[in-house]
Amino acid sequence: MRIGIVGAGSMGTVHAEGWAATDAELVAVCAEPGEAPTELAARHGARACATLEELLDLVDVVDVCAPTDLHHDLTLAAAAAGRHVICEKPLARTSAQARAMITACRDAGVQLHVGHVVRFFPEYALAKHTVDRGAIGVPAVLRFTRASYAPKGRDDDWFADPARSGGLLLDLMIHDLDQARWLAGPVTRVLARSRATLRPGSGPDHCLAVLTHEQGAITHVEASWAYPAPVFRTRFEVAGTTGVLDHDSDRDAPVRTIMAPTEDLADVPIPGSPMAESPYTTELRHFLAVLRGQTEPVVRAEDGLAALLMAEAAERSLHGGRVESVAPLEVPA
Amino acid sequence: MRIGLLSAAHLHVDAYVANLRAAGAEVVGLTDDDPGRGRAWCTAHGVPWVDSTDELLSRDLDGVVVCSETAAHRRDVEGVAAAGLGVLCEKPLATTEDDAKALVAACERAGVPLLTAFPMRYSPPMREVADLLGAGVLGEVQAAMGTNQGELPMRHRAWFVEPTRSGGGALMDHVVHLADVLRWYLDDEVVEVYAATNRLLHAPTVTVETGGVVLLTFASGVFASIDCSWSKPDVYPTWGGLRLDLVASEGVVGVDAFAQRLTVHGGSDGPLAWPEWGSDANQGLIDDFVGVLREERPPAVTGHDGLAATRVALAAARSAELGTPVALDPAP
Ligand SMILES: NC(=O)c1ccc[n+]([C@@H]2O[C@H](COP(=O)([O-])OP(=O)(O)OC[C@H]3O[C@@H](n4cnc5c(N)ncnc54)[C@H](O)[C@@H]3O)[C@@H](O)[C@H]2O)c1
Repeated sequence: MRIGIVGAGSMGTVHAEGWAATDAELVAVCAEPGEAPTELAARHGARACATLEELLDLVDVVDVCAPTDLHHDLTLAAAAAGRHVICEKPLARTSAQARAMITACRDAGVQLHVGHVVRFFPEYALAKHTVDRGAIGVPAVLRFTRASYAPKGRDDDWFADPARSGGLLLDLMIHDLDQARWLAGPVTRVLARSRATLRPGSGPDHCLAVLTHEQGAITHVEASWAYPAPVFRTRFEVAGTTGVLDHDSDRDAPVRTIMAPTEDLADVPIPGSPMAESPYTTELRHFLAVLRGQTEPVVRAEDGLAALLMAEAAERSLHGGRVESVAPLEVPA
Repeated sequence: MRIGLLSAAHLHVDAYVANLRAAGAEVVGLTDDDPGRGRAWCTAHGVPWVDSTDELLSRDLDGVVVCSETAAHRRDVEGVAAAGLGVLCEKPLATTEDDAKALVAACERAGVPLLTAFPMRYSPPMREVADLLGAGVLGEVQAAMGTNQGELPMRHRAWFVEPTRSGGGALMDHVVHLADVLRWYLDDEVVEVYAATNRLLHAPTVTVETGGVVLLTFASGVFASIDCSWSKPDVYPTWGGLRLDLVASEGVVGVDAFAQRLTVHGGSDGPLAWPEWGSDANQGLIDDFVGVLREERPPAVTGHDGLAATRVALAAARSAELGTPVALDPAP
């Protein structure tokens, strides 16, 4: 499999390292038209392409690591060229775009995968496995926290522009919206509240949502860009009918450092515990196996669409103040 | 100080009797609607049994601790107030807003102090956060996420899960503590309440809600969540816990009111035990009550605070029933 990465920022860099650990071949990288990402390409012995078209000619799989608002157009271009697509989360800026992407890829006969990487983080994967084997009974009350400082785009501050990134809900909370649905099934109703605490004008940076699941569970989700750097806190708790499981990245950290304050921060904070393999690599390795027809996907493009529908219901609730229904997941026929 | 106990219905009476003695008060006696329960409790705790409330109130008391079922609080507090005695009343104050208002008004009319049993007001970790907020080092609080989860309380007292006596399930039991802490920390009132509840946990055993997630909005626009679920399994090393994370403009603070404990594996305490070494917040509450009676000064937590928190819990129950947020008039 010949891979081409589109977007050479934080995620493009992480994915390039991930592919390097697999037996797929990272052959090309491109970024903004006309700006061939020579540095990243050189590091991995890939070709730095000046345009998307140049990259499409060289690859079997397009790995979309560009800003969220571009996912749709890039995916459609890749599908038109007959290339499989792996797309960073959120699948798209809107659920309508996500539906169009699913349709386009299906019509073109190519696979579309979405990088809901949290499903590949070992603590979350183990929680899912533990719930699925019935160890704590039926999930009843679930809690998720994902809290850090606000991410920055590599070349421009596209994260801070909700029209481009979708803001806190689409960019960050979507991870745990997917987790909630993965663990406790479809969500029917959402109430959400948000505050713009630190950067008034650039949208909410702290948000809570209360979800009601079709099968009766309730879920509390906290997503925040309002925590002081360099923290990236992740927590979850699943209270089931016979037992409770939980994770807390502060409490469960195997290595702790106490450092003097520094300005040297990653543009995009990424959570994680020391592991033999990065969850991003695990994810890409999995997608590779799916592309080769060796295994069933752990996460489908439809899951990415479902997460977007939940985020959009939460977004409506932020604005109207009311409980909102999640639009049904009708996969385009 | 001579203190009487009204009812052994609420399990906290077990702690209060020791706290009262430690505070140097004399526990004069206990009476109970259920003489069997009351007599057994008296025997176990070395407290004289008294046949009726009237008789107890005639024993030259300085104050009374009301630990009856929530639905009986109004009758009991009104009786104590009429006798001109100070009251410490278990939480929540009542099962209805009318009852809560009436018992607060009765104490005001009689000019006797009324404390609501919110021990978190006296917890040193909780007070440290109040001091941090007061000193302004964290800036303005913007949002808060709290949990006050517990085991199914009927393991200790069956009436907790009987709505006619307790007023409801997990919402009535566990919303008021954090509602009170948040009112205290934010110096603000709740104007809107949303609650999602379910009964998946302990479903065959009880008829009330056992899972609950509540979202409060304060007049300032700050919002806060409370997870009041009875979601700790029977094998959990303790009854539950109370935690709160606050996101403020200059930083974040988290508090676990019961983090001060040892972890013990194996031995006579079982596979895992958490003996606590933190200060006993109940002792702080009882010390304040005895101090208020002795010195005639205002308490740290009042009947008004109890009423406000009860209104929040009742609004949560209304919201859960309606499925929508409900508005709460901050000054009824
Ligand atoms: N899964 C995760 O943990 C995670 C974490 C961060 C970001 N993301 C997602 O990954 C995506 C990229 O985020 P990032 O943090 O890497 O952003 P970034 O700003 O660091 O990088 C974006 C890259 O895209 C390039 N780009 C801009 N316009 C382009 C175009 N028209 N064609 C091709 N490339 C273009 C930019 O030059 C830059 O190299 C976003 O969708 C984001 O939501 C996922």
